[in-house]
Amino acid sequence: MADHSKVGKEYARVSWEVERGKIRELARAIGDPNPIYLDREAAIREGYQDTPAPPTFLTVPIFWSASLPPVIMDLGINFMMVLHGEEEYQYYREIYPGDVITASPRIASIEEKTSKSGRKMDMVTVELLYTNQRGEKVARERAVLVERK
Amino acid sequence: MAHEIYFDDIQVGTEMPPLVKGPMQKLQHVIYAGASGDFNPLHTDDDFAKAVGMPSGAISHGMLVMGFVGQAITGWIPKKHLKRFGVRFAGMTRQGNTITITGRVTDKRSAGGENLITCEVTAADETGDVKITGSFEAALPLKG
Repeated sequence: MADHSKVGKEYARVSWEVERGKIRELARAIGDPNPIYLDREAAIREGYQDTPAPPTFLTVPIFWSASLPPVIMDLGINFMMVLHGEEEYQYYREIYPGDVITASPRIASIEEKTSKSGRKMDMVTVELLYTNQRGEKVARERAVLVERK
Repeated sequence: MAHEIYFDDIQVGTEMPPLVKGPMQKLQHVIYAGASGDFNPLHTDDDFAKAVGMPSGAISHGMLVMGFVGQAITGWIPKKHLKRFGVRFAGMTRQGNTITITGRVTDKRSAGGENLITCEVTAADETGDVKITGSFEAALPLKG
């Protein structure tokens, strides 16, 4: 069961350098043929500075920086019983290859809910505000993790 | 490639062009695991998935299905206009599922110098079982 005393806690910063190849790899894994994610020249023709990160790219730094396991361990929740309940991004500016984006996960809330089938679960809301190497806000993320009990 | 879309051309009720993805294969889960860094065996190991209560075996990453929705959105509205994109994961996507993404504009308004639309989005399988519900907001240019 999630440790409710952790609400408001902020965890170690995640810092991540964005590579053009990783943007292309994520687009290909999704099966998105949009050339703005795959080809720098095509992106420039569409008014971008370079291949922009796709809308769900911020999942990459979260997992590849292995920032989530320590948070989940600290919350005392069973990793194998965690499902992703909700995900939301607000976009302030594009993320491009070469950008170094940084954010600190913060526990915004923990609520116990009962599913339709009567099963109890904890809903843990994690928020991250991402900035780039110039200190500009690039995005805000809100993720809800569900621990099935 | 998303061609320019103008605020003037969008009305409440305008439908996003539907996108069909799949049928889902475990190979795509493996590729997505490598791309995203999410190596939870729930998505790639049928025996593991069954042991944790998924009788049909490995299920798709929710973020992969959200990625499909992102593909549908930015195939229609240029990525640079997207301001907010949020989803709720309503159901599990299984191997063999064909996922159709649809959307419909529910609001348009001008505020703070921006011309904003809100569009509801849904991802559902071939039986109509809903996997994702959500919405996005985009700030669109005016004609002229």
